[in-house]
Amino acid sequence: MNILLVLIPVTALVVIVGVALFFWAVNHQQFDDLDTPAILPLLDEPAADATMAPAENPTSKP
Amino acid sequence: MNAHAVWGHPLLLAQVLRPRRDGRSEVALRVDALAEPRRALALEQAIRALPGIERVAILPAARRLRVVWDAHRLSLDALVERCAALHCPAQPLPHDDADDVRAAELHAALKHLLVAGMCMMQVMAYALVIYVGAVDFVDFTTRGLFRWLGFLTTIPLVAYSARPFFTGAVRELRERRLGIHLPVALAVAVVFLASAFNTLRGAGEIYFDSVSMFVFLLLVARYVELRARHHGNAQGDAAIDAAPLLAQRIAADGTLETVPALALRAGDRVHVAEGATVPADGVLEADSARLDEALLTGESRPVLRRRGERLVAGSVLLDGPAPLRVEHSGAATAVARIGALAARARAARSFATAGDRDIARFVARVLLLTALTALGWLLVDPARAFDAALAVLVVACPCAFALTAPAAFTRALTSLARRGVLVTDSAALGRLAQVDTALFDKTGTLGVPQLELAGIEPLRGDSREEVLALATALARESSHPLARALADAACRLEPARQAERVEAVAGAGLRGTVAGRALRLGRADFALGAWAAETFEAKSPLREERFSAVRRPMAVAMGQETAETWTAQGALQPGRLLPPRFPGHALAPERQRDALLLADTDGAIAAFRLAERPRHDAQATLDALRTDGIAPCIASGDTPERVAALAQTLGIADWRARQSPDDKLARLRELRTEGHVVLAVGDGSNDAPILAGADVSAALAGGTGLAQAQADLLLMDDRLEGLARARSIAGEVQRIVAQGRRWSLAYNLCAVPFAAFGFVPPWLAGIGMSLSSLAVVLNALRAGRDGNGPRQELRA
Repeated sequence: MNILLVLIPVTALVVIVGVALFFWAVNHQQFDDLDTPAILPLLDEPAADATMAPAENPTSKP
Repeated sequence: MNAHAVWGHPLLLAQVLRPRRDGRSEVALRVDALAEPRRALALEQAIRALPGIERVAILPAARRLRVVWDAHRLSLDALVERCAALHCPAQPLPHDDADDVRAAELHAALKHLLVAGMCMMQVMAYALVIYVGAVDFVDFTTRGLFRWLGFLTTIPLVAYSARPFFTGAVRELRERRLGIHLPVALAVAVVFLASAFNTLRGAGEIYFDSVSMFVFLLLVARYVELRARHHGNAQGDAAIDAAPLLAQRIAADGTLETVPALALRAGDRVHVAEGATVPADGVLEADSARLDEALLTGESRPVLRRRGERLVAGSVLLDGPAPLRVEHSGAATAVARIGALAARARAARSFATAGDRDIARFVARVLLLTALTALGWLLVDPARAFDAALAVLVVACPCAFALTAPAAFTRALTSLARRGVLVTDSAALGRLAQVDTALFDKTGTLGVPQLELAGIEPLRGDSREEVLALATALARESSHPLARALADAACRLEPARQAERVEAVAGAGLRGTVAGRALRLGRADFALGAWAAETFEAKSPLREERFSAVRRPMAVAMGQETAETWTAQGALQPGRLLPPRFPGHALAPERQRDALLLADTDGAIAAFRLAERPRHDAQATLDALRTDGIAPCIASGDTPERVAALAQTLGIADWRARQSPDDKLARLRELRTEGHVVLAVGDGSNDAPILAGADVSAALAGGTGLAQAQADLLLMDDRLEGLARARSIAGEVQRIVAQGRRWSLAYNLCAVPFAAFGFVPPWLAGIGMSLSSLAVVLNALRAGRDGNGPRQELRA
């Protein structure tokens, strides 16, 4: 059972590293927008201009 | 020089750019096109490709785009220019601290939650070791070690994660009121300190697992609620941001130049179009104008202002356009000062919702119960009083209760947002479940005026495009639904012509000058008739005849404040109205019914036939509402014939025509005094009173900003079908919250007596609490879940 004396500090270390990483992510706004990245892979054309044909009318309602 | 060069103005830059520590700049842009995910992403990618861009974040709910970039490599006007080139017009927003506060609040909540989660998992692991008795076989000191580990791991949780509850409790104590924080803080502190005491003395039960789970679950509920609240705020921002930051300044030579409202100086003259928001405090320079100052006064009735009177920024010009001499702009305006005041008031107010009050009462009762248990045991067996009271406290903690409402509401709001319904006031969802009557506006809400190219009748041999371009130049200055239909039909035409001195005559039409030509657009009597007074005076032998035909409907229309009657058919009696010089007298009567006429001093130029059709989803929505027990009715400012036609098409028996905003409000009050719970649906500023007065209100996103500001629900993409969906989800949420409440009560009634008599060991209390919370949350997540609802698909 002496292995506990090693393993418990190790888990504590893992937790601390995890919390530190998460704090970094939060501080870098990684959790601010959770909606749009989900749609990103669905976009078939990578180029921007092709998808915005000039004929498209920004004010018209579908 | 490009049209967006104005954003290079250093004073303006100081107001919209937020300098960052790393030397980059940050700006928030309002982009309406963000409503469509596809375009939002295309825009994001295009912006990322620009030089110096570091980060692009899209906030679809707020229609905002945040860009962090190197302002030395790319100027702001180039950025705005690029957005405009992609057909996503962007408008920089003044950076305010509210955004920072919100982001910081959300970040802090997330950190608290995560630390609580991590600590909770560790504490659980240690507690499990003790519960299964694994360490008892080894050595009694190992058991002590695990109790100490649990204690040490709970310290950060209580000291860091539970801090919002403690600070909240201190605030509530200072304000001498019972909120949710005080009882929660008390429960956490008592359980933790008691367990710590038991750890130190090495005997008695410890509840570190329960207290950490309690804190974690409450933080989950808080976080979920916070996100939903910010989402709601973001939508509120979207409505507020719509107020123009750009103003049309009248230069010394009379031409209009677009400048930021922030850059207006005292003494500048600005041009305000009909339906537009006044950009700065100033003095009216037109003879008179009707304004909606609801933003300031809360009173939606139009206010008449005369020359020389003061207009306040943020009020909406109902008939215009009007010139204005600026007195105060930017943060010096009355509204900005009130806004700052309101923000301070909001910050001071804690978000005590109805659900919060319920929880506070619940926790207070639990504390009372705990005290009673302790008292009871002190009389019987003082040695067991402490443990039994602790067990009651842990078992009865209302996690399930606290979690139900936020989980169900968040789930419902997300589900609705996906279907194009933005809920700006989540309490409205609760009221929506009780609605039994729906009061609809007609024009723009149930029906849409539409102009087809075939509906354009040039009367003097001009091309259709030519007459459309002329009419559009006028129509663009107005937000009337008919004018918008015209402007929408013409938006393919380039380049747009500029109309000058456009003036709207309420209930009749628009007049103005395009390329030196005096033009009128509107009802036939207006477009043709009034010229007589100016140009044909005494010359035309037809004057008498024409005027007698015109006077009656004109009077009716002018008295009617709704401006929905431009094309009132009474005014268009074929043959009688049309002068001999008017070459379109051969127009068939049915073609003139819904026609707008464009005329100059020589007579009519073209007729625009606008047809009103029910919205494509109006019938389906009404059917769904009817089967749900909601009786629809119409209150419209339009003529009885047209209202009757649409009402019949849609099968609505209860309709009223020729309703002024006051009539509509009276109708609403009548319905409410009859005991109905009323949902009001509208789109125009004239619907604002009923939207504000109804139990629940919904506005179409294509409507005026004023209507949207009053609405609890915003129907995006102008789709009505969201209403039926919102109604069914509202009912579901009500049921689920009630279920959660019943469940908590039943659970407590069963478990508390056992705990009070000391039959519940800590592990059972912990399992019971988590299972009960889990059941309630899983149940809450059913809200808004169904497979066959139409999802908002990506549009090509």
